[in-house]
Amino acid sequence: MPNREKRKLIESIAVSDFFESYQEQLKLRLVTRADTLRRSKVREKSINRPALTLTGHFKYFAHKRIQLFGAGEMSFLRGMTDEKQRITLTKIAEQKIPCIVISRNFAPTKVMLQVMEEYSIPLFRTPLTSKEFSTDATVLLEERFAPRTTLHGTLMDVRGIGVLIRGESGSGKSETAIALLHRGHSLVADDVVRIKLLSDHTTPVGTSPSLNRGYMECRGIGIVNVVELFGVQAVRIDKRIELVVTFIDWKPGMEVERTGLEEKYFDILGANVPHMEIPVRPGRDMARLVEVAVMVQALKLIGHDPAKEFSAKLIAEMNPK
Amino acid sequence: MGDTKQTDEDSIRSEDLVVANEMGVHARPAAMVVRITNKYEGEIWVEKDGERVNGKSIMGIMMLAAGAGSKLTVYTDSPQADELFEELRNLFAGKFQDN
Repeated sequence: MPNREKRKLIESIAVSDFFESYQEQLKLRLVTRADTLRRSKVREKSINRPALTLTGHFKYFAHKRIQLFGAGEMSFLRGMTDEKQRITLTKIAEQKIPCIVISRNFAPTKVMLQVMEEYSIPLFRTPLTSKEFSTDATVLLEERFAPRTTLHGTLMDVRGIGVLIRGESGSGKSETAIALLHRGHSLVADDVVRIKLLSDHTTPVGTSPSLNRGYMECRGIGIVNVVELFGVQAVRIDKRIELVVTFIDWKPGMEVERTGLEEKYFDILGANVPHMEIPVRPGRDMARLVEVAVMVQALKLIGHDPAKEFSAKLIAEMNPK
Repeated sequence: MGDTKQTDEDSIRSEDLVVANEMGVHARPAAMVVRITNKYEGEIWVEKDGERVNGKSIMGIMMLAAGAGSKLTVYTDSPQADELFEELRNLFAGKFQDN
């Protein structure tokens, strides 16, 4: 199945944006002139401790990352003459590092401040320890650098499993969602689903654009306020997508999965999400089918595969030992 | 027309097939059978040892528990019986590409 997603990869984050978003959380205070924030960009999501670089070893210097100066770096720097400090720090600054963060509220050396202002590189101080800063900043950067995409569909939380319902316009996604809401399940996003993948080996997470969160459109009824109709528990902010269900138009002679032995996947941002295609026919209760699809998936997640179990039972019956 | 027989009722024809794969008609082969039968108009039945099931139903086919060497008889009133039998013959002869 062609997946016409438009994938957005984040190449870099402006240091000004990073500072504005997280200055309170990371307790950052800008020490250099405000205009040093203008051009710098964080181009890699991890944090670098430049201890080895300060000794003069510039091979493999991770210059695209935020440079964190802790107790070790600061005391090493203070042990150097001003002249040596200037030579090393200039060499670091020339590599266009995004910014420097000094932990434990250590004061920058005079030379440090001069060189960074000269090269227009922002220098921050934080009362956090190096460990606290790296842990928090890593999580925030992972989130900001997470690849994201937008898919057309309806994302629901059905008994704790996130299910993305896909299908052509008019295939009954919203109607199914309303029926699922009626049975006590919750809506995450209708029509436009924003998705991000926090790191590899994880499940993509979907959310709704904030403008239409809790609202949906249903043909013939119009715009519906989900919270007013079904209560606040009917809306969820975000949910991992653990199953994709695609509604397909049923045509005579069409080949559809009959046993469930063949496992299909839907690619979202490079992650393989289990996928079921369910043909739409008049009289089929699609909401009920989605509920059952979710329960089958839940069983598979805890290690029970009905199709495999049944097939094994049948084979044993036909081939008595 | 091979060993295809004309039965009592004029429009109903039948064909005998032998299960040649080692595992018998388990879920995957049964899915292959119904993938073929569902393409054809008309009624299709499959019989084994006097038990007759709907040939378009995967559960029906599997419930026959047709192990290796068992004989199945397919009946149909389909106007395209020749094509249907041809496809099924090939499927059974190819042992459902089962290992």
